[in-house]
Amino acid sequence: MPEFESAIIKTYAPNPGASMFLSDESATTKLLVRSDQAQFGLVFGASSAVGEALICATRPDEWLILGSEPAVDAAAAGIDSGGFTNVIPFTHGRSLFRLTGAHAAGLLEKICGIDWSDAMTPEGAVTSASVALTTCDIIRHDRNGIRSYLLMCDRSFGQYLFDALLDAGDEFGISVE
Amino acid sequence: MTQSHRLNPQPGEVIDRSAPLNFTWNGKRLTGFQGDTIASALMANGVEVVSRSMKYHRPRGYMTADFWDPNGFVQVGDEPNVRSGHRQLTSGITVDPQNVWPSLDYDVKAANGLVGRFLSAGFYYKTFMKPAALWPAFEKVLATFAPGGSVDLDSTPGYYDKRYSHPDVLVAGGGPAGMAAAIAAAESGARVMLVEHEHQLGGHLRWGSTADQASARQLAESVAAAGVEVLTDSTVTGRYEDSWVAVSQRSHAHAVERLIKARAKVLIVAPGLIERPYVFAGNDKPGVMLSGAVRRSIAMYATRPGSRAVVFSGNADGDAAAIDLERVGVDVAAVIDARSGANIVEAHGGAKRVSSVELADGSSIDADLLVVAAGWTAPTSLLNMAGDRPVYDASCARFFPSATIDNVLSCGGIAGDGNFDEIVAHAQATGRLAAERAAAVQHRLQARTARSAPVEFAEPAWPADVRSPLGRDAHPELFQSSTVGMVDFSEDVSSKDLVLAAKEGYDSVELLKRFTTATMGPSQGKLETVNTVAVLADARGETIEEVGTTVWRPPYAPISLGGLAGRMFNPHRVSSIHPWHESNGQIPIQVAAWERPEHYGNPAGEVTNTRTNVGIIDVSPLGKLDLRGPDVPKLLNLLYTNKWSKLPIGGVRYGLMCAEDGVVLDDGVTGRLGEHHYLMTTTSSGAARVWEWAENWLQTEHPDWQVHITPVTTALSSINIAGPKSRELLSRLTSIDLSREAFPYMTLRTGIVAGIDDCIMWRIGFTGELSYEVHVPSGYGLHVWQALIDAGADLGVAPFGLEAQRIMRLEKGHFIVGQDTDGLTLAVSAGVASLIKLDKDDFVGKTELAWALADRMHELPQVVAIQTAAPTVVPTEATQIVRPGTNEILGRITSSRMSPTLGRSICMGQVPSSLAAGGTALELVLVPDGRRVAATVLDTHAHFDPEGARLRA
Repeated sequence: MPEFESAIIKTYAPNPGASMFLSDESATTKLLVRSDQAQFGLVFGASSAVGEALICATRPDEWLILGSEPAVDAAAAGIDSGGFTNVIPFTHGRSLFRLTGAHAAGLLEKICGIDWSDAMTPEGAVTSASVALTTCDIIRHDRNGIRSYLLMCDRSFGQYLFDALLDAGDEFGISVE
Repeated sequence: MTQSHRLNPQPGEVIDRSAPLNFTWNGKRLTGFQGDTIASALMANGVEVVSRSMKYHRPRGYMTADFWDPNGFVQVGDEPNVRSGHRQLTSGITVDPQNVWPSLDYDVKAANGLVGRFLSAGFYYKTFMKPAALWPAFEKVLATFAPGGSVDLDSTPGYYDKRYSHPDVLVAGGGPAGMAAAIAAAESGARVMLVEHEHQLGGHLRWGSTADQASARQLAESVAAAGVEVLTDSTVTGRYEDSWVAVSQRSHAHAVERLIKARAKVLIVAPGLIERPYVFAGNDKPGVMLSGAVRRSIAMYATRPGSRAVVFSGNADGDAAAIDLERVGVDVAAVIDARSGANIVEAHGGAKRVSSVELADGSSIDADLLVVAAGWTAPTSLLNMAGDRPVYDASCARFFPSATIDNVLSCGGIAGDGNFDEIVAHAQATGRLAAERAAAVQHRLQARTARSAPVEFAEPAWPADVRSPLGRDAHPELFQSSTVGMVDFSEDVSSKDLVLAAKEGYDSVELLKRFTTATMGPSQGKLETVNTVAVLADARGETIEEVGTTVWRPPYAPISLGGLAGRMFNPHRVSSIHPWHESNGQIPIQVAAWERPEHYGNPAGEVTNTRTNVGIIDVSPLGKLDLRGPDVPKLLNLLYTNKWSKLPIGGVRYGLMCAEDGVVLDDGVTGRLGEHHYLMTTTSSGAARVWEWAENWLQTEHPDWQVHITPVTTALSSINIAGPKSRELLSRLTSIDLSREAFPYMTLRTGIVAGIDDCIMWRIGFTGELSYEVHVPSGYGLHVWQALIDAGADLGVAPFGLEAQRIMRLEKGHFIVGQDTDGLTLAVSAGVASLIKLDKDDFVGKTELAWALADRMHELPQVVAIQTAAPTVVPTEATQIVRPGTNEILGRITSSRMSPTLGRSICMGQVPSSLAAGGTALELVLVPDGRRVAATVLDTHAHFDPEGARLRA
């Protein structure tokens, strides 16, 4: 199989003094679970690690499994296939970016109307919103105590959104990781 | 000039004398200091006249020397209408007066003043209404009198920005009350945003006594220690529904201006008070200044505002101004105490400066500076916007809040009077109350938001307002003297104009405002409103309470258009194959949000190659919906006009979708991939609409149906391989049997293409050619595209763009929804009657279509194929179709192209049913010359291969 090609085709010079980082993680395996059954004990708006995979309750009847292919496969074994349940491969349909930095919420405030405070969007929170006029699923997924967000948008908007995030992050000293 | 009016260092000055800045004013090179405003730098250099008034071009100097100064608008480089009383000086800027000719000192338009008696309010309306035919000529002349600076359309636009914020408490105003409230709220656990209009926190303390200045510094330090987010040089411009508060931030390091959309749980309004001018003859002459302006000039900018002053004082601030002036060596010739009944009637002087002040007792005092302290206006704008209707208190000569609004609180001068400790104590109580109320709102929001942190206690009771109200200090009602003076300095509206307007019947304050434009200038009524009301009350012989005020609406202060627009987002979509198109000569076209190749340089050649060899087109924008569940056929039967229950696995079918009124909504092909698994395609621009449409029917009408709809438009990159050699090309990249027998027209197969698994192929033909549409997982879309190009070199494979596709589909007679149909086109008009199955139980639009087929066909248009008699004439799309020899419009051309395949023009159009039969003669009226050409309706929609032999090959 040839290598997976991301929507991000530009190359970016690194910013050595950066304190905020944006990375393209679009190649991450993504599996969508649609079901009228409760899955993984997760209610809408929450996320949780299952093994090496991350499960996100993205809609009231929808869960998204993110991770490496083996990790996603392992997590998928826990899907309750009762009721009306469908599992849909989603790796190719969405661009996935990670934004990390102490001021990551400050960047998102510039292009998204959600309240990013710890009370309203704590670690693990999952929400959907317009980011720079693009519909996104956003997961707060801190790394080593540093604020971090996963942003997932329709693949066709990927390059646009990546550039919009970099533009908004200019004042925070952002760099592509 | 060398800062001739700069004083020795002052204890509270905000200028940095170690950082001199050069700039030019009106062509002259001057120097100021870091921290100066343009106004203070000009005053330090002895500049007396900075502008000309809007209508009469009267010379004007600084009156308030701050943001609100109606006289301080200047041109800075290519930026017009800069508030010089507020904008800070920067090195090397070019500052000029605006709207003067030939110069500031000798402005020809000042002749307007000579005929001022004829230029009263309403002059334009009355004079230029008739004759209407001359208005264009009037307009040209009047345009030369338009106020304001000049805009350079070639200048590089600045970077404007937007930001959202969700503070618990937003405090509008960074004076002592605002700071104290912010500190108290923050110390109570609230997230606080403090917004200050000026460049520094402190409000009036900044130009007060040494003790005042120390208090300001101490409060500012406490604000920082409390973790309050402070935005200086920023203005709360409006308060809207659901506590939506707009903040214009001018102080951002990376943006010229930033509009902050704050969803504050509680808003504290603490803007302080704005000093009000006094109406008397000559009150707009250079050298007439308000007491606050004088004190700011001395204390903050160390500038000497005059040499010999008369102080007209109605309060302690006027007295303090006299003391400040004497302290810095200005000769205070007299203090006219309004509290004891003394009054001034006129400021005399030449074009440049006041020279003497005439008193009510007839005496006159020589002076080059007249300081006025006539009272304050409470800028209740934000309270008005929250629904309050402030009431006037005659004993204090100002308005006060009247309503109790749960999440809007006020403190400081706008709420009442008191000494420093009393004001701070009230503000602290306000801050604490705001924090408590914000916590209650936060609890409610958190409990109702799925993603938020769980709430661990019951919702608290709504905190009651138990603050002790502030007192109110008496103040004389000082609005106008016995003489006529300027009321609105921005708009050049005098007290005489207002009285005249009232006599003409504009005696409601709202009417008066609109007729005279008083209060409608850049000061937004902050200086003028109360005086306007007072003059009107006097004219009507009533009290200010009886007259009432106008309603203050957003913005609190003007905001730039750039600030309102913010950053301009232009989301656009590209397919996974976009890099190839970019590097292979595509001419792009924007279709909805998609950037697509319109062609690669020769669309006619692309058509010919596809008809002769094989062409490939990137059709990834095609809407694609993954449908799963046992009830999918029910959904398809509901949404489409034709039948779906018997579509076999591996089968593909075309469907037409209607709205309830039978109008064509969308069309596309749906294939059955498995027992309960389908893939629906929609038009490229209709993908989101169809998804929403289908979900709407599922969720509202048939929630019991088991169907999952998932948009997969960009999960799958789609490539159409078309042409007589398409089978040969594709067979080189897949082991799937592509023979006519094994893979017939309108069927699908799944498998490996170019090494990529999970590809979906269906055999359909929008171009009218033998063709295969391959849907590839998008991460490999570019790989498959390149493989097709590489594998088909000897077959003559070449890409074709949207234009070639449009030509070929028109040759074949396939209509496009939204182009050949419109918002009134019923499905029965689209020439696809065989797809409308009235024997189905139900489908969306059935009732309307059944009625149309039974009774209305004679009055409905039909989509038909049309050819002109002259084969080289390609009528423009939307060309009118008329009855031959008449001007009776029968229809229009909806699509037209020159067909490279047929060597002639081809069209599609809408005509009445009575003229839809093949062979009917029509006449087209060409644009732009109105030439008429004959045309004929064809028997079928297809201009080319009507039997479909090629696509079934």
